[in-house]
Amino acid sequence: MSLHRQSRKYHKWLMLFVGLQFVIWSVTGAYMVIFDIDYIHGDSLVTDKQTFLKSEQIHYSIAQLYTDHPNAKGLELSTLLGAAVYRFNDGKIKYLLSADTGKSLSPINEDYAVLIAKHQYMHDKVTIKQISLIAENPPFELSARYLPVWRIDFDEFASPSFYISVQTGELVTKRHTFWRLFDWMFSFHVMDYVEEDPSNKLLLVFAVLSFVASMFGIVLTYFRVFKQNKQSGNKKLRVRKCA
Amino acid sequence: MKSIKFLHKWLSLLVALQLLIWLGSGLFFNLMDHNKARGNEYRIKAVDLTVIEPARLLSISDILKQQTQPVNSVKQIELLDQPYYLLNHHLGLYKHFYNEHTLINAYTGERIIIDAVMAKAIASRTYSGNNHVSSIVKSSPPVDDFPKEQNTAWQVNFSDDLNTSVYVDASSGRLVGHSNDDKRFADFFFMLHFMDYGSIGSFNNWQIIVFALFTLVFCLTGFIWVIELLRKGRYRLG
Repeated sequence: MSLHRQSRKYHKWLMLFVGLQFVIWSVTGAYMVIFDIDYIHGDSLVTDKQTFLKSEQIHYSIAQLYTDHPNAKGLELSTLLGAAVYRFNDGKIKYLLSADTGKSLSPINEDYAVLIAKHQYMHDKVTIKQISLIAENPPFELSARYLPVWRIDFDEFASPSFYISVQTGELVTKRHTFWRLFDWMFSFHVMDYVEEDPSNKLLLVFAVLSFVASMFGIVLTYFRVFKQNKQSGNKKLRVRKCA
Repeated sequence: MKSIKFLHKWLSLLVALQLLIWLGSGLFFNLMDHNKARGNEYRIKAVDLTVIEPARLLSISDILKQQTQPVNSVKQIELLDQPYYLLNHHLGLYKHFYNEHTLINAYTGERIIIDAVMAKAIASRTYSGNNHVSSIVKSSPPVDDFPKEQNTAWQVNFSDDLNTSVYVDASSGRLVGHSNDDKRFADFFFMLHFMDYGSIGSFNNWQIIVFALFTLVFCLTGFIWVIELLRKGRYRLG
């Protein structure tokens, strides 16, 4: 069998098995490169407001805080809805204290979480569709380390959701339809169908077979594009029939 | 069907090389050692045993009063066993986005600018290799090792077997990351896979979008061809 005919045979058979994955790779790949990654990450959903601290907001000093919480780590003074607040960890517990009084502001209640979410959202006028408290069993898109959180779903284009930490009042993460889709696209792109297999043997097998199939494809391209032009009209016809 | 075959044939000529690059680099990602590719061979967690003496901490209110620039937030951090206040004047959405800081000694109120000596000491604390520094360079973004980093960083180069470079944010002392020859080797394949020839650390460039669309049509026409062959009973064993 000539190289041309052999290549045709193997290309045909291999593509029967990996052809669908080629379509999946190209669809998911195209999705991921076309949508700007910063848009996917929801950067355009949040305001980049600079909110400045005023010295007269602070009546509970940092020295006092360390006296009250000697094991405080990762201490930061910043603002939450205009008020000065301290955030820090003590072991596994996260704290949110008023810098005015030193009193704890957490757990954040529903109304407060909604205010925070609206304040961080890009547009001033925004409608909220649903609010839920997630304390366990986080959805796929939320890391368990952020729990517990308030999930605020906006009634806006691409169904954005903000996740506000109950303990710190921080916007821990955000999602919207295109990001959720992106996560799916990525899973399909790397053939992450079996979660228990970190080495992803399935992808390896498909990538190798696809590579081989493509090499045969290149041989075909060579014969059909470059060789064919040199052949006579009759031969040309025969090759076409065989395809 | 004729136009499907026509498209498939001529598109194959156009996307062939890139398709092989995608498959080859994809295969590489599947087989590479992911730990090595992170560039953290000699990275260790900096041990900081600073015990804060609350009585010595200066009042943040007073610090704020002395500032000429407005302040978003004040972090109390430790660098080289010394507590500092890290004042933020411009808050980026993420740490690697553009940020502006002032660093102030939390006990004395002295304003600190991180120089090469300090950057080297900070970097060394996160490094477990032979600890021989060959050069220290102040690098303006973008740098090849961390193309998405938007802040000026000190690049501390170690003369080890992997040519490790440690990056320290020049305004905050934050560890940007470690990079080495293993990571650079993997990054080369990412550059190829993402067609990121300008090395901007992104896969949203026009050349990949064009090729992705051509490849999409190429794969779809191929898939239709397979269906056609199946329908016509061309898949016969023997």
